[in-house]
Amino acid sequence: MSVSEATSSEAIDDGSGSEFRRGVMSCVPVLLGTIPYALVLGAQATQKGLSAVELPLMTGLNFAGGSEFAAIQLWTSPPHIALIVAITFLVNSRHFLMGAALAPFLEHLPQRKTFAALFFLCDESWALGLADARQRASAGIAPAFSLRYYMGAALAMYLAWVGFTAAGALLGPMLGDVQHYGFDMAFPAVFLVLMRGMWKGMKAAWPWLVSLVVAALVYLFIPGAWYVAAGAVSGLLAAWLMAGDA
Amino acid sequence: MIDMATLATIVLMAGVTYLTRIGGYVMLRNRVLGARATAVMEAAPGCVLISVIAPAFVSRNPADLLALAITFIAATRLSMLPTVLIGVASAGMLRHLMG
Repeated sequence: MSVSEATSSEAIDDGSGSEFRRGVMSCVPVLLGTIPYALVLGAQATQKGLSAVELPLMTGLNFAGGSEFAAIQLWTSPPHIALIVAITFLVNSRHFLMGAALAPFLEHLPQRKTFAALFFLCDESWALGLADARQRASAGIAPAFSLRYYMGAALAMYLAWVGFTAAGALLGPMLGDVQHYGFDMAFPAVFLVLMRGMWKGMKAAWPWLVSLVVAALVYLFIPGAWYVAAGAVSGLLAAWLMAGDA
Repeated sequence: MIDMATLATIVLMAGVTYLTRIGGYVMLRNRVLGARATAVMEAAPGCVLISVIAPAFVSRNPADLLALAITFIAATRLSMLPTVLIGVASAGMLRHLMG
């Protein structure tokens, strides 16, 4: 189900239960890409010596896949704590931007709920929740941000991630290389559809192009996980400069 | 069977990750942004998403690039589920066919 379908008139009636369900359903295509990766992470982690208890503890408390892949790559026994924590922070620094973009939509919520909901912020739950909030805002629905929709998508992601990383750790060596099957293409697919929903014309998309080019170049020529931060910040700089011209 | 150094690493990872999750919200809540800052925040989601998937655009594998082009075209006209299915199927098949 696309975000535009998800916000079609009959789906947004009222019902809190149906809002949660709408969130879960919108996450289903995303899970298609997530589950194979969760299995792979689990299998890799056991090769590095993490137990089938330790890994779900990591994915359940940290719940940020990119940083967990990085941590497992760098894992030694005993682990370099400072290095792994620093890399985790770097890989997840994009959350600052994501939370900032979401902030205007969260003002109607009590802080206790907001701080709990933000624990479940990941690329997918954020992108779905924000795209939905923008569509509801342009349709004149208040409040624009549906907490139950967001939590439906976020909890579906959370349970799948923790459950299937644990399964990967248990199944371990039985799994082959899932990359060969093409499941990794699910992420570009999901993100491109979400970006189409955010499309506001060529001029507004220039910062995205800047981000793409810079992130790609940094990815090619600088080792490590810098490319996400470099790409995002360059795009924002472009947006800031362009807004000055207007 | 939980190793103490492992537990410490996991707890600290979780701590810094949660800080990144609440940081942007804490800094920007109840702020009224100017026009320029608003333009930056409007562009931010797309900038983050495209940066995350940027490596796919510079893959060394021609099968991956072709699959990405097919996925891109699908994403401009189809909804989420068919786009994901086309993306995964084209990547899987092209990698198989093109070695």
